[in-house]
Amino acid sequence: MSTLWDTTGTEVVKALGAARRNGAAVTSGLALTFVVVAEERHVEMAEAAATTAAAMHPCRLVMVVRRENTAPTPRLDAEVSVGGRLGPGEAVQLRMYGRLALHAESVVLPLLAPDVPVVTWWPGKAPDRLGTDGLGVLAERRVTDCAVHDNALDALRTRASDYAPGDTDLAWTRITSWRSMLAAAVDSAGDPGRASVTVTGGRVYGRPDSASAALLAGWLSSRLYTSVKVVESDPKAPEKGGLPDPGGVSGARLDLAGADPIYIHHREGAGVVTRSGRPDSSAALTERDIGELLGEELRRLDADESYCAALAAATNSRGLSRRPGTRSLIWEDPAAAPDKRGEDVTVAGKVQGSRR
Amino acid sequence: MSAEVRESAQGFVRESAQRKPARTQQRRPGNPLRDNADRRLPRIPPPCALVVFGITGDLAQKKLLPAVYDLANRGLLPTNFVLLGFARRDWGDGEFIELAHKAAKEHARTPWREDVWKRLAASCKFVPGAFDDDDAFDTLAETLLDLEESHGVAGNAAFYLSIPPDSFPIVLKQMQRTGMSDNIDDSITGYWRRVVVEKPFGHDLLSSRELNELVDSVFTAQDVFRIDHYLGKETVQNLLALRFANTLFEPVWNSHHVDSVQITMAEDVGIGSRANFYDATGTARDVVQNHILQLLALTAMEEPVEYTPDAIRTEKLKVLRAISLPDDLSRYAIRGQYTQGWLAGQRVPGYVQEDKVPDDSKTETYVALRLGVQTRRWAGVPFYLRAGKRLPRRVTEIALTFRRAPHVPFTASDTESLGQNQLVVRVQPDEGVTLKFGSKVPGTVMEVRDVAMDFLYGTAFTEASPEAYERLLLDVLIGDATLFPRHKEVEASWAVIDPLEEFWAGQQPAHYRAGEWGPVEADQMLASDGRIWRRP
Repeated sequence: MSTLWDTTGTEVVKALGAARRNGAAVTSGLALTFVVVAEERHVEMAEAAATTAAAMHPCRLVMVVRRENTAPTPRLDAEVSVGGRLGPGEAVQLRMYGRLALHAESVVLPLLAPDVPVVTWWPGKAPDRLGTDGLGVLAERRVTDCAVHDNALDALRTRASDYAPGDTDLAWTRITSWRSMLAAAVDSAGDPGRASVTVTGGRVYGRPDSASAALLAGWLSSRLYTSVKVVESDPKAPEKGGLPDPGGVSGARLDLAGADPIYIHHREGAGVVTRSGRPDSSAALTERDIGELLGEELRRLDADESYCAALAAATNSRGLSRRPGTRSLIWEDPAAAPDKRGEDVTVAGKVQGSRR
Repeated sequence: MSAEVRESAQGFVRESAQRKPARTQQRRPGNPLRDNADRRLPRIPPPCALVVFGITGDLAQKKLLPAVYDLANRGLLPTNFVLLGFARRDWGDGEFIELAHKAAKEHARTPWREDVWKRLAASCKFVPGAFDDDDAFDTLAETLLDLEESHGVAGNAAFYLSIPPDSFPIVLKQMQRTGMSDNIDDSITGYWRRVVVEKPFGHDLLSSRELNELVDSVFTAQDVFRIDHYLGKETVQNLLALRFANTLFEPVWNSHHVDSVQITMAEDVGIGSRANFYDATGTARDVVQNHILQLLALTAMEEPVEYTPDAIRTEKLKVLRAISLPDDLSRYAIRGQYTQGWLAGQRVPGYVQEDKVPDDSKTETYVALRLGVQTRRWAGVPFYLRAGKRLPRRVTEIALTFRRAPHVPFTASDTESLGQNQLVVRVQPDEGVTLKFGSKVPGTVMEVRDVAMDFLYGTAFTEASPEAYERLLLDVLIGDATLFPRHKEVEASWAVIDPLEEFWAGQQPAHYRAGEWGPVEADQMLASDGRIWRRP
């Protein structure tokens, strides 16, 4: 591991090259470059998660921490390691200060592994328009997380209005095991030897403010061609969902044509399937940490059509799948438009103004 | 060139436009929640029971039970699932669950979670009994029927025969008698009954044919799953991807460019506690007939028309049937037996000194063979196979050695240390692919030396790949037979081994010291062809 203080992008590229040559032979077979755009307070969590994900997918990890964009002088600190603290692969951690933070891609571009996809992940709040962040523009896949916002549903709507193929959200990843369970429940709903059942509709139980619950309902709506709503779960009544899981989903109901509905609810890390006339059954609803969720994200590097359909249905948006898959940079200078931006940016504007 | 590849040459837009309808058409009829474009949803088997005969055995405890737990932990088992153990122990469910708990916890690949185990334990049942005990099998059949009601397993059941092959007939007949194996047509009965058989699949062509006929008559041919755990390994599946998903390798994958192929399966361990079995079996029957010939088939097969069980198995069968034995067996079919020696810094006994091995045993612990594959693609390319125990290290690999360039502009002294180009598929350990080629040594003179380009799944990156048994068990419950050899493949493999066994019968195998790469006769065999064994 080498640490570079007050350095330049060229020095970082050189240091990475040296580390590759001297390091163990773990660097072969890179599948992607994984860019993490973290705030200082998320760094620890993001490091742990990215390390887990990097262990599943050979990648070059580039972590960008923007700090004090009010600082008068731009400055870059870097830490380069191969097979070290940040997982088995190559890792670069960059801390950017001052005006440089607005041009982070200028440092990151030469650090991207040649001709492999780039995935960018925002562990904290992602910008409303991903195109305003140069680190999102250079990526084929952009991973956000609505659950970190105070109002997750608003965040979900923002994601829909800004959606481009290649976007995905961890709120969606969190419900893969739910979706798998619902699909399996429908698989086994028919009586042996008879034709399979027809699902006419359903309901999702969960926290009404949960983006995951909204996406699960959106997914069901998009698959069943009917509107599926999220209903607040009642912790005391298992048939109404019981206790929500960390993602905010506590259960679902699937209505069948000419048969009793299937109830699935969350109980102590498992999904329990209830249906009148049949014994209860259950299977694990694996609770995964962020690292494992990212591991799932990095498996596929093309646009997720199912997410697109679920997002559209959950937010009542149209035409998401027809949007262009590439983004172009929307230049937004916090200094130039202080009135449109949040508080800390206004401060930045002042500083910048005084510098001019 | 496949149709799809040709399409894509005409432009990405057109290709994706053509692909999409195909995807939606393939959607499982009846379940609107399944969509082939939705690649996050895992494959989950329908409600079913897994019945294991010989659940107290070594394999069941080290591989099967942990694999079941790992599947449960990954959320890949159906909500209605029952594990039913059968063995000759005076046990109730409690003792069985205790044993399973211990085995799963000790050998599980995924992190241990007590709540997952508790749910799994709630669906573990045990039926005690001997294989000749009619009452026990009646109880088993009743239990299975009860489970349909109590656990909603809908009559689906897979029977795993983790028992010695000589018990197969009696267990199969019992299943037939009690009607547990009835599965003429699952579109009529509405449920499936499958049977899983472990190697060895017989001990020669005749016995394997008898066994196959018996199993196929009790079940139906497509419901018989023969486990060759090598085919569940990630690298072996990657061999198909490497060959058929790329353009780079196919043009050179033939006798015009390939000089020879070496398939090595070396083990550093001895025979352990399997003396009785091993002394009656030997290396050729134990691993060459199944694992090595399967690796050869995957290496030499033509491109299957599609990635379906039937298409792949058809191509493999063609290769196995095209295998030819050398005329001079005394030179090209070498057997060896290890003698006392030193391995990895430890003194190890010779084969005949192992417990329960007769002093005059003529069983081989090492085999080296030269086979040919009589197809247009491979005619004239020797396939050198070797397998053995107590070799210096545990390694399995497939190495393609390419021909030398017909002309090199450099002088002989420049290219002195240039070997032949090689492509090595490392099956285990260090799973990956290596390409060996010549490269200039930095300096003022032109000097060419071999270097290696490595693709490594690597220890760090394989954390997430499932155990072979996990994958194969899941495939059985889903009904995907892609990775399971068909009975015709088994018979074609025995047709290769039988003449060898006949030739070797009564002969004394050559000796090699434990910790050496086989007997000197094996080296002479390659030397007489002007080649040497690759050190794996």
